[in-house]
Amino acid sequence: MSTVKQISLTLNGEPKTFETTADETLVDLLRRHGYRGTKTGCYEGACGACTVILDGRAVYGCLLRAFQAHGRDVQTIEGAGSFDDPHPVQRALVDEGAVQCGFCTPGMVLSAKALLDETPHPGSDTIKEHMDGNLCRCTGYEKIRVAVEKVAASTAMP
Amino acid sequence: MKLCDFVIPADIDEARARLRELGDAAFPTAGGVSLHFLRFAEPKTAVDLTRLGLSGISRDNGRFTIGATTPVCDLQKHVAEGWVLDRVARRFVTQQIRNISTLGGNICRVFWWSDFPVALLALDASVAVRGESETVLSAEEFLARPLKLLKPGTLVVAIDIPAVESGAGFGYGKETRVGSSFSLATAAACVVVEGNRIKQARVAAGASLSMPQLLPAVGEKLAGETADREAIEKAVATGTEGLAWKGREGMSDPYAAELSRIIIADAITDAVAEART
Ligand SMILES: Cc1cc2nc3c(=O)[nH]c(=O)nc-3n(C[C@H](O)[C@H](O)[C@H](O)COP(=O)(O)OP(=O)(O)OC[C@H]3O[C@@H](n4cnc5c(N)ncnc54)[C@H](O)[C@@H]3O)c2cc1C
Ligand code: FES
Ligand code: FES
Repeated sequence: MSTVKQISLTLNGEPKTFETTADETLVDLLRRHGYRGTKTGCYEGACGACTVILDGRAVYGCLLRAFQAHGRDVQTIEGAGSFDDPHPVQRALVDEGAVQCGFCTPGMVLSAKALLDETPHPGSDTIKEHMDGNLCRCTGYEKIRVAVEKVAASTAMP
Repeated sequence: MKLCDFVIPADIDEARARLRELGDAAFPTAGGVSLHFLRFAEPKTAVDLTRLGLSGISRDNGRFTIGATTPVCDLQKHVAEGWVLDRVARRFVTQQIRNISTLGGNICRVFWWSDFPVALLALDASVAVRGESETVLSAEEFLARPLKLLKPGTLVVAIDIPAVESGAGFGYGKETRVGSSFSLATAAACVVVEGNRIKQARVAAGASLSMPQLLPAVGEKLAGETADREAIEKAVATGTEGLAWKGREGMSDPYAAELSRIIIADAITDAVAEART
């Protein structure tokens, strides 16, 4: 029997309370509550589709248990930008043609956002290092790299 | 089901009390990443260790003290003279894993691929363990049997390493099939060079051995040798004779031995180059 307990966290800037069990992953909890922009691919910390930002750092929602987010700040793709007001990284990915099937995109955006929030103008090596946990099966990475580097070189970060 | 319940203690005394109470039914949880590799006969209660004030890096008297729950990304980003663990952290994949995994978690349950045990053995680190009292063990003593030492309620609280100062150097090598795959061979070296000679060396290896281990014979062979690649390769060849190498991911054992000797020699070469700058 799994004990059901409450956890509280800040989700995309709003305080939230959820019920969870110790075994539930953060990505499962989020998707169960309608935050379906966060994807699941491998469920083993290999693809990055489940990436969310926890206290400013990109993490795999499939490896983290939901209770580990108790009392912390969580950002999902729903909080990053909207269709009408995209995040600079979202805008740059579209401009560069760096989105094909789009499955990796929420994770890519959040990994880039976490880095740029901490270091607004990272160099190319830092970008590569910080985005080594996100796989893309479509684009060949080059356009994603160009898009993130463009944002890093600009002053467009809010 | 692996976990049936969780508790989030606010300080170390509460955490230790809950762990003692739960005994073998507890799973002390730092990053919790190792849960991915574990199977339990009975589900356990996770006891969160990340809010006990055991994170952070400080420097005193030529040594760094690293809190047990310091995430690997903090080791990656730390900048200070004599700080070398950023080089190990960068080889720890991926960024999302570096952001959750803790140094304590990486050394309390050691897998053959674990990066930090290899580095800490070469650096002659010490590990502070809090039970009824606080005990400080050498990395060698601790890593020989971490899970046996960690009785319920006993926690690693800090890891202490020397600053690698002038005249000394550190090198870390890791070979993987692709960046994000498990290690095939790992090696770390810490050397002191005087003039053209290696005065002292501590060398450790992992991944292609059953577990990360110190290679004292390599250190002994290097001491007093000229600090050049030929002498380094010779010391590695003779100092690793008789070790039981293990090929990973379809690699043969003799290939693992050959690959490891190169990675070990590379780590020593990097350490020597740093010591000379
Ligand atoms: C996709 C993936 C990639 C990985 N890549 C690498 C890599 O490149 N290199 C590498 O070395 N590792 C890698 N690992 C992770 C590694 O294998 C460990 O699982 C990880 O380092 C554990 O850290 P943690 O903080 O999550 O520990 P946890 O999983 O929370 O704990 C590990 C063990 O230590 C115990 N423990 C933790 N902290 C303490 C403490 N302070 N006192 C007493 N006991 C404690 C726990 O009870 C548990 O038994 C990878 C794992 C995955 C899933
Ligand atoms: S689903 Fe989490 S990393 Fe692939
Ligand atoms: S756009 Fe399809 S996986 Fe990246």
